[in-house]
This record gives sequence, C-alpha cells and structure tokens, in this order.
Amino acid sequence: MKLLTHNMLTSHVKGVTKGYPLLIKATEVKVNEVEFNPQFVCRMIPKLEWSALVKAADDLGHRQDLPAELEPDYEKNEDLLKKVHRALLEVEVVEGSLQCPESGREFPISKGIPNMLLNEDEV
Amino acid sequence: MTTAIICQPQHYVFHPDNATGRTMDPVNNVTPMRKSKEEKKVFRKQLKSSHTLLKHEGIRTAQQPTKSLVVANGGLGNGVSREELCAALNEMGEVETLLMPPHKPYAFVTYRSQESAQKAHFHLNGGKLMCGENGVTLYLSFIDSVSHEEESVFAPLPDGLLLVEDFVSAEEEVQLMAAIDWSSSNDEVIGACVFDTENINQLSQKALKHRRVKHFGFEFRYDNNNVDKDEPLPAGLPDVCLPLLERCIKDGYIDIMPDQLTVNQYQSGQGIPPHVDTHSAFEDTLLSLSLGARTVMEFRHPDGRVVPVVLPGRSLLVMKGESRYLWTHGITPRKFDMVPVCDLKSSTHSGHDLETNGSLTLSKRGTRTSFTFRKIRPEPCRCAFPSACDSQGPPAPLPPSPPALPSCPSDAARLEQEFVHQVYDAIAYHFSSTRHSPWPRVCHFLSTLTPGSVLVDVGCGNGKYLGVNPEITAVGCDRSSALVQICADRGFNAFVSDALSVPLRTASCDACISIAVIHHLSTQERRLAAVRELVRLLKPGGRALIYVWAFEQEHNKQKSKYLKDHNGKQNLIKNTSEGSQEPCEYPSKCSDGACTPTDYMPVTDGKLSVHTNRTAFNTQDLLVPWHLKEGKRQEEKVSEDTGKNKRKSNKASVNSCLSSSESPQSDSSPSVDCSLSRSGTNTSKTTHSLGSNPLSSDGNTHPSKLETSPAPVFHRFYHVFQQGELEQLCAQVSQVKVLRSYHDQGNWCVILLKEELH
Repeated sequence: MKLLTHNMLTSHVKGVTKGYPLLIKATEVKVNEVEFNPQFVCRMIPKLEWSALVKAADDLGHRQDLPAELEPDYEKNEDLLKKVHRALLEVEVVEGSLQCPESGREFPISKGIPNMLLNEDEV
Repeated sequence: MTTAIICQPQHYVFHPDNATGRTMDPVNNVTPMRKSKEEKKVFRKQLKSSHTLLKHEGIRTAQQPTKSLVVANGGLGNGVSREELCAALNEMGEVETLLMPPHKPYAFVTYRSQESAQKAHFHLNGGKLMCGENGVTLYLSFIDSVSHEEESVFAPLPDGLLLVEDFVSAEEEVQLMAAIDWSSSNDEVIGACVFDTENINQLSQKALKHRRVKHFGFEFRYDNNNVDKDEPLPAGLPDVCLPLLERCIKDGYIDIMPDQLTVNQYQSGQGIPPHVDTHSAFEDTLLSLSLGARTVMEFRHPDGRVVPVVLPGRSLLVMKGESRYLWTHGITPRKFDMVPVCDLKSSTHSGHDLETNGSLTLSKRGTRTSFTFRKIRPEPCRCAFPSACDSQGPPAPLPPSPPALPSCPSDAARLEQEFVHQVYDAIAYHFSSTRHSPWPRVCHFLSTLTPGSVLVDVGCGNGKYLGVNPEITAVGCDRSSALVQICADRGFNAFVSDALSVPLRTASCDACISIAVIHHLSTQERRLAAVRELVRLLKPGGRALIYVWAFEQEHNKQKSKYLKDHNGKQNLIKNTSEGSQEPCEYPSKCSDGACTPTDYMPVTDGKLSVHTNRTAFNTQDLLVPWHLKEGKRQEEKVSEDTGKNKRKSNKASVNSCLSSSESPQSDSSPSVDCSLSRSGTNTSKTTHSLGSNPLSSDGNTHPSKLETSPAPVFHRFYHVFQQGELEQLCAQVSQVKVLRSYHDQGNWCVILLKEELH
C-alpha cells in the first residue's frame, strides 16, 4: 500500500464519524524506485490531505523533512516535489495494518494490499 | 541451467523451446545454444515450477543434487504416459523407481546413482517431451526423498457385478457390429437439440457430440427413462445375437431370454452420465457386451465409493443385484483412461488382480460399441433396494435444489458469496488472462478526465483500466483478493473492499467507473445501493461510468460478440441430459461432468437456472457457467471483453477469449489429452504451467470435485439489465443526472453526473 492510497482511505465502520486518517501499523515497509514526474506530483498535491500524508510518512520514518504545512509556490520547489514523490509513490507498506482511529478496528495489509472488508455486523 | 539438446532416440524427440534459428551440429547431434536468454528463461520457469510444487503440493526441492528428481509437467495428470516418460528417463541411467501419482502433473524418479540423476537433470530440464503429436516442457528439480505410497488402484467389484472376458470371438465381434445399421438411428434423441432445418444440415456434416443409440425389441424412452411396454418394436432382437444369448443362459449368467436390446456406440471423448437402469423397466440381470475398444466404466455407490472397471473389448459385463439396482454406472466422456499397467500388457488379466504393481498408465480410447441386453419387467419392481427404486418407497432423491432469488439481505450476501466472490477468487488467474483488452468506449471516458483527476474503479478486477490514463491518479478496489493481488503485481494502487461500502471519503473522487460489476448484485436494493455508493464518492461535478450486462444481446439488429461467436446463430438450445437423468439444473452437482448443459427454464418459481453460454438470455436472473481450463481454449463469454484492441493482440497470446467457435457442449468432454501443453509460448502466469489440473488458488472451491477431474465448472450469478433499467435505477438517486446512455457490445451503459449543489 502506497501512501497515496492511504491518503484516500478512511474507516467505514458503522457509526464511526472520525475515521480519517487511518493509523498505519507497519511491520514491513519497502521503498521502490518510481520514475519521477514533477507534473504529475504537482497535480496530485492539491488533491491530498497534506497533514495526513506528513503524519503517515513520519510514522514510517520517511518524512524526509516534509513541512507540516504546505508552502505556496510548491510547484517550483523541485526538492519538495521529489520528497512528496518519494513519500507518496515510493514508500510502500507491505505488511501491517490500518487502524480506525475511532473504533480501533484493524484492517490487515498483506503483500501490499489492504483488506478493507467489513463483517456483516460492522456494515 | 541449460536447455536440452536435440537427441533422437526411438521413442521420443527432444528439443528445446523456441528452437527457431538454430542449426544443428551434425557431428555431435547437438544444437549450439543461445545461452544467456534461453538459460535464464528456463531457470526462471524452473524456479516458478519449484515454488508452485512447494506451495500447492508440499514438495520441497533440494538445494544439492541427489538421486531423486521431481519431474514437473511429466505426470499422468498432464497426459504423459509412463512409457513415454520412462523412455526419456532410461536414457540417462538406471532408474530405480518411477512414481507417477494419478491425476498429478508431476512424477518422481529415483536413479541408482546420483550421477545418473544429474545427467537427467542436465539433459532434460527445460526440454520438451513429445507425447503423440504434442509436447510438454519438463522441469526437473532434485528432491531429498520420495515417499513410496502407491495408491491402491484396485477396489473390489461391486456386489453382483461380474466381468467375463473373451466372451465372444473376434469373428462374432465383426458379425455383431456389421448387423447394426446406423443410418436409421435416432441420433437426435440423445442430447436433443431443437433445430431448424438449417441446422440439421450442419449437424450431419459435423461429428455428433453424443454417443449413437439404437434400440431393438422395445423402444427405450429418454424422456421418462422407461420402456414403452405396450409398443414392442416390430423387428425384435437381431438373429445374430441369439447364439451368444443362448450361451449366456447356458453358462448361467441369466435365467431368461432377454427381449430388449440397446446398442450404444461411443467415440473417443463420448460417454454416458452415471445412472441406474430404471427398476420398473427391466428385470434384475443386465448383460452388456463390449465390442471394439476398451473403456473404463465407473460404478458409484450412494455412500461415495467409486469403483472404476476396465471393460476390454469382447468382454461381457453381468450386472445383478446391488450392482444393478443400487450402484450407478457411467462412462466419463474422455479420450484417455487411466488403467493399471498390467491391464495393458495382458488382456486376460482382470482389472482387479491384487498384484503389487499398482502403477497406472494411460490408455487411449477408441470407438466402442456396447450391446446391452435386458428383460422387460411386466410388473412393478420388488427389489431389495427401495431407496433407488421407482416402484417402491420414496422417489429417487431430487438433484439438489438450485438457489432461489434472495428474499433478505443476508440471503443476498450468501448467494453472492457463493456465486460471485468465491468463484472469482477461484478463477482469478484464468479470468484475468481473458480480460486483457480495455474497451474503447471506457478508455474514451477515461481519456476525457482532466489530468490530475482522482479516479476510483469500483470492481476493478485485474486492474485493466487503472493504467489506461497515466495523467490521472487511479485507485481500484475489488471484492476478490486474488484479483486485487494481480493489480498489485502490476503496480497499481488497489485494495480489497465491497462495492456496497467503499472506504473512501464522501466526495473525494473526480470520477468513478464500475464496469461489469453491479450485475452481480442479487437484489434491486443492492444494485441501487451500489449506484448510490458511486455517487457518494463523487465530488459535485464529477462523473461516473457504469456498465452492466444487457438482457438484450442484440441491438439495432446487431448481435453482440457474445452471441456471434456461437456459430453466428441465435438458437435456443434445449438439451436434455444425456440418456438417463431428469434434467438437472445443476450440471456441476451431477456426479461428474458428463452431463451436458441443461434445459434452462424461465424463472417461474424464483429459482435460478443455469445459462448456456453464447446464447440469448431468456431470464434476467441466472447463473452463468465458467469453465476453468488450463491453456488455450476458452469457451467463455466475451461481452465483458469485446473491445479487443488489435495493437495489444500480442498480449492476448495463448489465452485469447475470442477463439471459441466451440459450442458449450464441448465443455463436458474433459480430456486428459497431450494437447494441454504450452508449446513453448508459456505466458507469464506460471500458475498455469503445471499441466491440466489447475492448481487454482486454494484448490478446494471446485464444485465438481471428482475422481476423474474434468474441467471444473463454476457458476456466477448475474442479473442482466433490460433496456432502460439502469437509467431507472440511477433516476432513484438524488443529485444525479444521466448524461448519456448507450449500448456497447452487449452491455447497457450510463454516464452520470453528480450535480453541483445550489
């Protein structure tokens, strides 16, 4: 699971109102090399929840000094873009789980894939 | 690792894969090898085969050379015979043992010396073994030890069954066969189809899919599996049969002269489903004379015991008592049978000799003609087996009742679990290999998205659409972990979730697609809920594209590819089951895959019927078969994948889904042919690489798990949509506008807009 995916995922356990962002509990993380496309990263940034990304990267030890707040003119900051690229697309949680911040329910991540299925009683 | 060199001993031909462009060195009979590329390829495949063996069969390969090897793809399950494999192995050194577990796609060989084993490994690994006209690529790995557990292949014959070999002479055999005039046989009765005149002509040219039958004395009726006792046939039994019948009486096999004869002729690949001859129709003893080629008949007891019985040519099978009244008998449609080795060597051995050599080998089928003599029973049956008797006791157990449409959410969830989710998990790799071409109109939709858009593909399957537009951020979700795994393998962002509850925030997506998904939901409420969920995910101003399978496969007088590929005809094919059972709605639950596709009936009582692939739909809620097969052919529908992108045709390779002009019936002829080999163009999905028995993900979701392993059939639930139905569904969701609605290759499609709030 890349942090891009994590940035989008939320807990959908019944009754939960504060299910975002999910807490990452990783037991295996890897870093892949992905071709850097500054334009793509630029376009993605406005769609992200910046603080959730920073926290997730931080939790995994890959924050790389991403600022707590996104500065304006980030488009021109190639250094920043590269760091965002790395955090979003290169860092991958292979094994672990995602935890609902409100209910504590854990969703397993196995072989890089989060399984978000709920049981019948949780829907 | 090396590729095999070409050598030409008598029994087999060995040559490396992709041998084009090579020249032979005539002196050494060796072809110089293009080392690195070939070597690497063989090594990779061998490694994968090792992994698969370990993962699926628990076979652990050794790191260092030993005396024993596992020969992947060299098994009875691949259609490789003992003789062919032995020939290749013996060339390498003295073979101590060769173990070929039945139905498995591998074999174990132990050599006298480690040197011989190493020689075998060097020469044979990655090489092709020819069996008949086809070849399999063998991958050898050293193993630490082989446990010699020969399976017992000899079971005692059912009570009351007697096999008499050499009952007629070769001359009599010729006379008997000659006495049958097939030109007047009523071929259409068996596996009947309702034809228009066009088709009758077509039929007479093609080989018939079913065995030929002729009756004498009394007509046997397949609609009620009984005899019309009031209408004897004028001719009576042929005179040529009398001498042998008199011999039967004289030898004490039967007390009374039979008055009914049924002659069946089976080509290789034909059979007859398991059945008990109707008690009320015939007296106790049945005599069945086998002429022509040998076959294997399987007897099945209600408690599950299965006894295969080899029936040599010119043998007489006498069925009495329990074997006649209680055990079913049938012949699986196949081209090869597995028979004990001793049976091949000597025709005077019965199949049930308790010899220590329990080895099996393959026996190719030929044409067999059986003469079954019976005595009409004038009065009701009073046998000792009322459970199977139509005259006494309760009626025979009905086939398991098919699922009904769900009446509550948990029923719906259960139905979908069994007929959607479990199926996709079981067929994932095969399914994925047939879903390789993104559809043009879906691609068009994706191309209209602004760069940087966030797209979610709900029900993304193998991720076919996730990479189409590289300018957008695409995330997929699917209910099947196996399919999501394929997405991950391809580098896409995907997670496992249900379409009814997608773990993404409301209004977080610029666009959604849901292609061929919501037709798997079994109630209208759930289908509506799925549409609502898609809309929830959309930002105001965002768009969704939905595709569902259409009830109307023909649109604007154009047939969809799904229909067109079925001989270009849109016939309603009505099949009665082959010979003896009531039409069952569940071919997969019959004792073996020999049942032909059944009648499909309109849903009058809420029960789901099984659809015959590539024909028009006549009901909206149905179960569609998926025939899980290894290798090339694939008789599955293509309406989900008809936008075949010609530029990507190289990816289609072995598993083209448009290859089939086969009719669905051919699916019920499973064969352990040698034609299952890859012929060198092994596609990357090496879960297919080990021969005929699909080592599918967990191996335990086959509904038709059998002794004889024909291709498993799965059923998926579909609710196919009528014209306008999808739009109506969307109209029930607020804040939604249907921008466009169209028909695309057998699907109804809508593009929705989530309106901005005012």
